[in-house]
Amino acid sequence: MSNTTTDTRQSIADMDDELLPVPRHRLHGPGHFLGLYGSEHVAATEFVIGAAFVAMGATIHDILIGLLIGNTLAVLSFWLITAPIAVKTRLSLYTYLQHNMGELVPRLYNGANVLIFVAISAAMITVSATAVRALFDIPPQIYPYPTNVWFAVIAASASVIAVLVAYYGFNVVAEFGTICTPWLMVMFTAGGMVLIPSLNETLTGYTTLSSFSDFVNLAGTTVFTGINAEGEPGIGLWEVIGFAWAANTFAHFGLVDMALLRYAKKSIYGLCTATGMMFGHYVAWISAALMGAATAYIMKLSIAVVAPGDVAFYALGATGFVIVIIAGWTTANPNLYRAGLAAQAVFPNIARQKVTLMVGAVVVVGSCFPFIYRQILPILAYAGLVLVPLGGIVFAEQHIFPRLGYKSNWHRLKGVKDNMPALITWGICLAFGFGLNFLNIIPFVYLFLPTWLLSIVVYTILAKKYGADRSYPEAEKREQEFQKQVEAYHAELAAKEKHEHVRGTTIPIKIIRAIWIVIGLIVPAVLAWRVLFNSPNLYDYYVNRELFYDITIWCTLIYFVLAWTDLQLSKRMQRSAQSSGAEVPAE
Amino acid sequence: MTLRIAAAFTLAMLAGSTLARAETTLTIATEDNGDMIRMQALSQAFEADNPDIKLDWLVLDENELRQRVTTDIATKGGQFDIVTIGTYEAPIWAERGWLVPLDNLPKSYDVDDILPPIREALSFDGELYGAPFYGESAFTMYRTDLFEQAGLEMPEKPTWEFIKDAARKLDDESNEVYGICLRGKPGWGENMAFLTAMANSYGARWFDMDWKPQLDSVAWTATITDYIELMTEVGPPDAEANGYNENLALFQSGKCAIWIDATAAGQFVIDAESNVADSVGFALAPDKGLGKSANWLWAWALAIPAGSEHQDAAKRFIAWATSKEYLELVAEKEGWSDVPPGTRTSLYENQAYLDAAPFAKITLESIQAADPDNPTVEDVPYTGIQYVVIPEFQGIGTAVGQRFADALAGEIPIDEALENAQWVTGKVIERARFLQ
Repeated sequence: MSNTTTDTRQSIADMDDELLPVPRHRLHGPGHFLGLYGSEHVAATEFVIGAAFVAMGATIHDILIGLLIGNTLAVLSFWLITAPIAVKTRLSLYTYLQHNMGELVPRLYNGANVLIFVAISAAMITVSATAVRALFDIPPQIYPYPTNVWFAVIAASASVIAVLVAYYGFNVVAEFGTICTPWLMVMFTAGGMVLIPSLNETLTGYTTLSSFSDFVNLAGTTVFTGINAEGEPGIGLWEVIGFAWAANTFAHFGLVDMALLRYAKKSIYGLCTATGMMFGHYVAWISAALMGAATAYIMKLSIAVVAPGDVAFYALGATGFVIVIIAGWTTANPNLYRAGLAAQAVFPNIARQKVTLMVGAVVVVGSCFPFIYRQILPILAYAGLVLVPLGGIVFAEQHIFPRLGYKSNWHRLKGVKDNMPALITWGICLAFGFGLNFLNIIPFVYLFLPTWLLSIVVYTILAKKYGADRSYPEAEKREQEFQKQVEAYHAELAAKEKHEHVRGTTIPIKIIRAIWIVIGLIVPAVLAWRVLFNSPNLYDYYVNRELFYDITIWCTLIYFVLAWTDLQLSKRMQRSAQSSGAEVPAE
Repeated sequence: MTLRIAAAFTLAMLAGSTLARAETTLTIATEDNGDMIRMQALSQAFEADNPDIKLDWLVLDENELRQRVTTDIATKGGQFDIVTIGTYEAPIWAERGWLVPLDNLPKSYDVDDILPPIREALSFDGELYGAPFYGESAFTMYRTDLFEQAGLEMPEKPTWEFIKDAARKLDDESNEVYGICLRGKPGWGENMAFLTAMANSYGARWFDMDWKPQLDSVAWTATITDYIELMTEVGPPDAEANGYNENLALFQSGKCAIWIDATAAGQFVIDAESNVADSVGFALAPDKGLGKSANWLWAWALAIPAGSEHQDAAKRFIAWATSKEYLELVAEKEGWSDVPPGTRTSLYENQAYLDAAPFAKITLESIQAADPDNPTVEDVPYTGIQYVVIPEFQGIGTAVGQRFADALAGEIPIDEALENAQWVTGKVIERARFLQ
């Protein structure tokens, strides 16, 4: 091997993994993505978004059908738009932009990301604080701003702790987040089941539903009434579809989830996002709405202002505080981390600690304002609108350019500082998207579609003018050589790293796993079932409900202790298998 | 020319003022009871006198009305301009700022004419939030012929001891005449309305000053024990299924010697549908000599949600619909006996009404004796006589009512019912107060 080759290989080895394509031996099967998307999309946000659909005045039929269609469109978007590009490039969007969009585009992109991730983090910490406020006897916060200084203190304190945890212990919290998924799924479903009888009793005088049409009638009369919080006719089917689809625009059309799907063996694994879209969004949003409406009626408050902590408490008892705190933090943590990374990219000349503290300070202030979490759905939709042009630009490079004979990585090959076509395209699309919004021509939830299409067209035209259709023989040669070296480096890694994911299969681990599944998941599910289907009158309902509350908190404790133990023991097995080089059974 | 211009100008002004005084539509959410249905029919008179206001009525059953109105009113949605509420909701909603205070009513409305306990029950912090169109208390109705046959004389203010004794003497199951009929159907507004009032007269209370439930107290035990023993011995069969309507039917068909229930029943037990119309006497609800009797207080009222965009027009309608003139209109169209009772002092000074309603005096006395701010013998942290003015009471009352109905049916012993009642009340209130 020549010195040049050796130097290149060494420099590749010294590079941050994030800046290189994901090697083949680190790719994951479908099970990984089923779990990952389930945990990402069953979170504290679902409490808020469910209530938002009620406040926006959707009808039950539009919800049942619209959410199905909208979330299906989201799954298809991940499958057909995001996954193919992620699998082809094996890069995160951030890295792709760094490689191919010059200096300014990634900085601006990261600047936008800072704001978006800060908003999501702040919102989720506020959600957690709504649970904690009850424990400290602080009144409900029903205004967009804090009306009690102690609520602000709690939210700010929770933010400070979250920022420190994200900074020092991100990996631990991220790991902890992975064991939450099955539990969150059960709790969200159980919460809705537990409150249905009391909601039904207020309407009909009966605690029991005799058919699905009873449920539809109940939900239509008490939850999804078709009248919004201002007393006007609410949103229709198209808007429901649009919100469901647009809730994750920045992740699918905006390609942010390239960061996750770059690890997929095949692009069809984009369909695995269905666990997040169909369960996390569809079921959890409806359940959260039911819980919110029932709690609002019990507390004689508007659903627009009833706090997630109070909802979770009525639905799940003390476990409700756990779910809101855990769901809030496990969502806030990765978003805080992303916000910190994005901020470092925007301000590379400022020390990492200082930047993280700056971001943290904004989160601390933002978390004191309930306004942010109550507006999370429109915030997500507008965030998508800001970021989606870049998704279109990358889509153009990866799908359109090869068909037109252009170079996908033309800017990198050309070697100029900034990608002017990308900058101009982004600017035009923002003006277009927000201009359409101002003119109110189409519902704002659909603005990402024409904006995305426009970005593809404009970028293709401009990139050609700037040289995307030319050849760069020297640069292409260097690039090919570099890719060859990367492949060789990956082959070396593959030989060294054990690439089979090992799941603990010893008897003790299996026993532990069985216990947390039965006690942590099945028992609460059965108890919730009893509350819904075995409460012939209100007294029996209260008896069943209290039993559910009293037992579920212990089930929750056992679940987390044992699931965490299972995870740590499995990891220890994995590490010892890797260090011994022994063959171990794969999953 | 000048005249033409002046005429044209005048016409233009008139047109302008007509446009300016464009029609306002008031949306009224109301319950499907007789008084409201009658009001809807008579409201054409209001529209005729107020051509700038159109009325749009939405009639719902009580549960759905509460549900829909609460949802809209809590969000200040403004779907409804006028809502029908009861004395249970009025203080809760007023405290939350959901209702418009009914100040600045016209002098002719004579707000001081509203019976003081009714006015108090519909007020919060000294301001009136609901204008009553119907009011009631509870009293004792009895068969004068059976009393005479038995040589008994009903005092004007009977005690529980007297009532129990009389019921036992008058019971004649072989002839399907039951000594006493009382509510047994479970529900916060059914059996628990009666049992709470009865418990008040026994010296019981729902909560002490620290909000600890008191269903395990001696007074509650005595109340429920006496109630169940009496009903089991001399009440009608399957009494746990009988609410107000069922007991009315029993009394009208001559099967109850004594019935303690709402004063609203007064007109029905003496009307043409009643087989015993000529043999009904009225007395106050019984007491135990502790200073509180088993009467209660309820009113249906019209209120204006804070989200309404037509508050002035709504006040005009409310002032008309609950005025002395409206009562006279009902009397003119349908007779004095159909005039909605229980709201105004002047009604009870009207001889024509007193002649048409022989129960009127007792009704007035029952209402005047009601004190929703001090409903019990001992001090309590709540208001409300046959309910507790807290949002959780509907659930608590219904659940407790179910246990007492089960005890009445013989399915569970009395002490278990009380224990269950204490437990469920404690759990629900603990949860509610935890979040306050």
